[in-house]
Amino acid sequence: MRSRAIPALLLVIVALWEVVAAIRAATSVPDDDAWERAAQIVRSQHQAGDLIVFAPGWVDPVGRLHLGDLIPIEMAGRMDAARYGRIWELSIRGAHAPETVGLAPVFSQDVGGVTVRRFERAPAVVVSDVLASGQHGAVTLAEVGFEPHRCIQVVPSPGHPQRITIPMQLGTRLVGYAGLADVFTRRDIRAPGSLAVEIAGRQVAQVHPGVDDGWVRFEAATTPGPADVTFVASADAPQRLICFAAEARQ
Amino acid sequence: MKRERLVGLALAVITVVAVMINQRDVGIARDEVVYMSAATSYAHWWLGGFGPIEKTWGGPMGGGNNPEHPPFVKELEGISHALFSGVFGEVGAYRFPSAVLHGVCVWLVYSFTLELWGFAEAILAALALLLLPRALFHAGLAAFDAPIMTLWFATVVAYYRGLTRTWPWQVGVVWGLALATKHTALLLPFALGLHYAVIAWRAKQPLVHWRVLVSLAVLGPLVFFALWPNLWTAPIAHTQAWLAFHMHHVHYNFEYLGTNWNAPRFPWHVPLVTTLFTVPTATLAAALTGAAVWTRKRPADPRSPVLLLALSAAASIGPFFLGTTPIFGAEKHWMPALPTICIAAGVGGIWAARQLKHRLAVPVLTACIALAGATEVIMSHPYALTWYSALAGGAPGGADLGMNRQFWGVSARGVLPFLRAQPPGPVYSHDASPAWGWYIKQGLLPGGFRDSGHEDQGVRASTYAIVIHEKHFNRHDYMIWQSYGTVRPVFVLRAHGVPIVSVYKRP
Repeated sequence: MRSRAIPALLLVIVALWEVVAAIRAATSVPDDDAWERAAQIVRSQHQAGDLIVFAPGWVDPVGRLHLGDLIPIEMAGRMDAARYGRIWELSIRGAHAPETVGLAPVFSQDVGGVTVRRFERAPAVVVSDVLASGQHGAVTLAEVGFEPHRCIQVVPSPGHPQRITIPMQLGTRLVGYAGLADVFTRRDIRAPGSLAVEIAGRQVAQVHPGVDDGWVRFEAATTPGPADVTFVASADAPQRLICFAAEARQ
Repeated sequence: MKRERLVGLALAVITVVAVMINQRDVGIARDEVVYMSAATSYAHWWLGGFGPIEKTWGGPMGGGNNPEHPPFVKELEGISHALFSGVFGEVGAYRFPSAVLHGVCVWLVYSFTLELWGFAEAILAALALLLLPRALFHAGLAAFDAPIMTLWFATVVAYYRGLTRTWPWQVGVVWGLALATKHTALLLPFALGLHYAVIAWRAKQPLVHWRVLVSLAVLGPLVFFALWPNLWTAPIAHTQAWLAFHMHHVHYNFEYLGTNWNAPRFPWHVPLVTTLFTVPTATLAAALTGAAVWTRKRPADPRSPVLLLALSAAASIGPFFLGTTPIFGAEKHWMPALPTICIAAGVGGIWAARQLKHRLAVPVLTACIALAGATEVIMSHPYALTWYSALAGGAPGGADLGMNRQFWGVSARGVLPFLRAQPPGPVYSHDASPAWGWYIKQGLLPGGFRDSGHEDQGVRASTYAIVIHEKHFNRHDYMIWQSYGTVRPVFVLRAHGVPIVSVYKRP
């Protein structure tokens, strides 16, 4: 009798569990009140230039609803987070933003399910930024790897590399990223693009971002001082919207 | 028997009512706008004395006449709109045929299960189908996904019954209706053909049920042809164009387990994982029990109904394991597998209950499984495309897992009350732009909130902008940020905490 009862018992348990779990799941995400209280904590200690991030990524619109006025477009479309010494992370459901991986919080408080953490570290010292050079075409805010990135966007003709030379003040390293913008051209044309970096006629870095690679990092050791840095974008296929940014760092 | 029939009929009617109530809160899907327009035009053509065919039915694939999809359900929608707009409202009238067909599907599942397994099994199977959140949602749209489930399963049932009929004309006619509903009906012969081969091999007579084959081969295409005037002018060329459109269909963007997929190869497990997360867990558990029961004991019927059900489900869902079949839309494209799952759930659940040999066991277990399904239905409403089952952790769990958030722009309706409370101004309506005129026409939004246009130009001309959140739509946020000079939305519509639409207001 007991063993015969097991299938029915299991089905009843699964069904009742589902009723409870479905209702609990529907109320498991913090509401606007919790977010507002969490935002007040950030506002009370916020300093100009603090980076604010949200985790998991899907809650980003809610985070921006409550703290978006403290996030300039330049910050939202950042190349990476290295230049930020103070990072506020507002997270739910135990998630962490990629920008805080490996960092220990100096402040942490849970507000109705929203965890507010502040991280502090020595920021990268940016000597110069290609996006601020004003020596090239318009800087745009592009979707690369489904994320926002301010960048210089180049669309080279197949077989005809496009060269952009930017006079820069260099530090000890040049850090940059490149990727293919626009989900639809990435879908329709599957070929990668290519970006090479030359300093004084010598290639110091090269990346070949593909359609699924997102925002691809490159780095090269550099000699501090002024130099002409040339970015060479090329592709074998048309409509490769090669998007790049770079910073000279100390 | 009469009482049993009445119960089935009641379940079918309840299904239609549930769908019609449910759909009232559901926004207008992008594709529905095209189907509704074509539906009206088709109905005028049929009811108004057959005008020029090309003008109503022809034109390019993807054009306003919608020649890339067969017309049967659109014809029903058009007629329903002409008859019932005053009862259900314009959009509700277009959606009514799909709701009725969903009720028919519940009836078919009920009657097929009743015929082969019993009353209790039939009730549980029918309830399991009625209480599938995504199926209930799709049944409330003026689209083809719920109707093809019904007509697919109706073909299966007609085929099964045709095996003992002298003149099984029904199977050919119903398959013709299925063909005239959606191209996926072309997969049915794989299931029926294999099943026929097995029973013919067992009977050692290749032509044991030849009339069924003739019915399918002759009446199916004839009905299909008769219902689609576009084929009358150039049968081969237009059939080729229709098939070519679907064989080379663009791969829409679709998020699955955190990755945006828009090109093959797709993960082989998409149909498994998606089904796991979009069918209530209790129903799935009962279905697994039923499948286990079937491995040990099947009805003593030479027509092998269990094999038929299995092949039907396999033919529907099988192509999505190949890695090359487009995965956008996910479970809506293999909905014809659901009757098999629900019948298995009915058989499994009642088998488990009967092991207890207690008079309350069957009703209690049936109630528990139905309660689980009903809870999921309630949780899913009205944003069922964002909903995932308790096994996934609900909508938030689905978001954590990186499952597709939504598609078709349906959820935009949820921000209309917020917009209504604002001073009027043009709106960048994003993926809801095809439906925007309908919302204004229905009085859900004053005319001052007109659509501002597409892409950058539309954003520049707008006072408000909405973004319907899907991974590949992130770029719309960025366009708006640049134009509005802020990343801060003024309203974020959420389904159980999961953002589905953001509204921006130009500062």
